Amino acid sequence: MTNTETALKETLASIEGATGAALVDYTTGMALGTIGGSKSFDLTVAAAGNTDVVRAKIRTMEHLGLKGEIEDILITLSDQYHLIRLIKGRGGNGLFLYLVLDAKRANLAMARHQLKKIEGDLEV
Amino acid sequence: MAAEAEVLDELHRLRARVPQLTGALAASVDGLVLAQDTPGVEPEGLAALTAAALGVALRVADATGRGDFRELLLRGEHGYVATYAAGPSAVLTLLAGDRANVGRLHLEGRRAGTRIGELVEAAAEAQPAPAARPAPKALTPRTRTARTARTLPGPTGESR
Repeated sequence: MTNTETALKETLASIEGATGAALVDYTTGMALGTIGGSKSFDLTVAAAGNTDVVRAKIRTMEHLGLKGEIEDILITLSDQYHLIRLIKGRGGNGLFLYLVLDAKRANLAMARHQLKKIEGDLEV
Repeated sequence: MAAEAEVLDELHRLRARVPQLTGALAASVDGLVLAQDTPGVEPEGLAALTAAALGVALRVADATGRGDFRELLLRGEHGYVATYAAGPSAVLTLLAGDRANVGRLHLEGRRAGTRIGELVEAAAEAQPAPAARPAPKALTPRTRTARTARTLPGPTGESR
């Protein structure tokens, strides 16, 4: 079991190519914690914007009558990967982990695997 | 305030950009409406109440050493009311439903507040005869005695 701060630190330290991460409450669009990022990459802006992404996908699935649940969402930019992992169980409902990866350095399969493990250990 | 049309434009832009908004109001710190787009809510009353809340907020911030006022967020059962500083003499109050993205509300509200503050300041500077009024009143928002302060148009300079 890890807390928010430890989980975010672990995300940035252990995932190759990670440049920023945030734990976001998508019922409000506010970040419970952020790590990394920069002046030109504001993670609170990313938290609010990606809340709309997650909400849109959930709404679309409701309209389509899909019963499954979102595990993660991958957004591929020309030089970055953005990975959104929804948090399951233990009071983590309504939260997601948001991870920014440098596409040149990251191993996407490994990053997804590690993020899944970090999500599993996270206790909010 | 000559900036009314521009401020109203800003409110319309804001409401177009943030669909969860149900209303937007720009008011002076002493409770007068500058521009409003608040269907279903009485703007004069909201502006006056905003000034009253602002007065309490300023004193709380002052008593706890939190510095100048930046924003106020209220969450009711059916949604949010957020007030953002808009320069030294005005505030922006936004109304949103309970499903609103507060993170986005803050981002857009802060940005719009800054812009409205600039518009109001620019209009105040462009005013031809500001000397007739006591100039420093804008710098110290004295909001406890809300509406009365600003409604004295010209006790000195008026010739009639």
